[in-house]
Amino acid sequence: MKLILSTVVAVAFLVPAHAAPLTFDFKDAKGVNNVVFQLDAPLESINGTASGVSGTVTLDPEKPGEAKGKIVVATDSLVVPNPIMQGHMLGEKWLNAAKHPEISFAITGISDIKKEGDKGEAKVTGTFTLNGISKDLTVDARVNYLPGKLAERGPDKTPGDLLVIRSKFEIKRSDFGIKPGEATDKVAEEIAISLSIAGAAPKP
Amino acid sequence: MPKLFLILGGVCLVAVVATWFSLGADRGWSKTLVPVAKVDPVTELEFTEYEKRFVPGLDFLVAGSAGSLFLVALGLFLGRFARP
Repeated sequence: MKLILSTVVAVAFLVPAHAAPLTFDFKDAKGVNNVVFQLDAPLESINGTASGVSGTVTLDPEKPGEAKGKIVVATDSLVVPNPIMQGHMLGEKWLNAAKHPEISFAITGISDIKKEGDKGEAKVTGTFTLNGISKDLTVDARVNYLPGKLAERGPDKTPGDLLVIRSKFEIKRSDFGIKPGEATDKVAEEIAISLSIAGAAPKP
Repeated sequence: MPKLFLILGGVCLVAVVATWFSLGADRGWSKTLVPVAKVDPVTELEFTEYEKRFVPGLDFLVAGSAGSLFLVALGLFLGRFARP
């Protein structure tokens, strides 16, 4: 009995610490996580950012294909530099932030994984929800796993890992019921989205 | 009185154009937030912080110039009736 117990304990210590899936929280106290959106219409170019990023991704760095999670952006965190445009964008006629307070991407599958050390590229499939309408979407993502780097980020030096995700993709506003076919000379149909986010998995 | 409108219109026009030029001569819409690009040293993520600052755009220039020219026109109009 003693031998079995000591073997179990020994095996438990021999298993690498990152063998279990890690849950990365994308609510970043430093406010670095951001989404950039660009609309380039014939008469007007609109550039803005969103910083209200939250959500979690559960990832086993050894089995990245099994990652699951959801990234959420608060609709009212979308910012454009012009205050009148900002009001219109979040208002009832466009994004209706009061009725649809979240924009989200829920991961349903990962394919075409190219892994090189702690960096990787993959195609991420998920359900993108905007303006209360959900569509399946596959996007290219670059992922950088930074083990032990969480301690370097904050004044409290919390030990843990970081997961950095970058992705660029395009959506059509008409697919999400945002004034389809209207004002396309000033508000482009295509919205280019660039996601740059880091999640933290603190270790006890 | 007409002369006052002419002078006021002229001064306003100069002030509007000078303000627009001195604050960046931006050819887009006026802004109350100015994006500043930054990079997080650990994650190397680029992010944007906003400075609360007024940058007059073409809408400011057009509206200001129109207002000034209206004062000038009003001065000229009143001047015609003021003549003996």
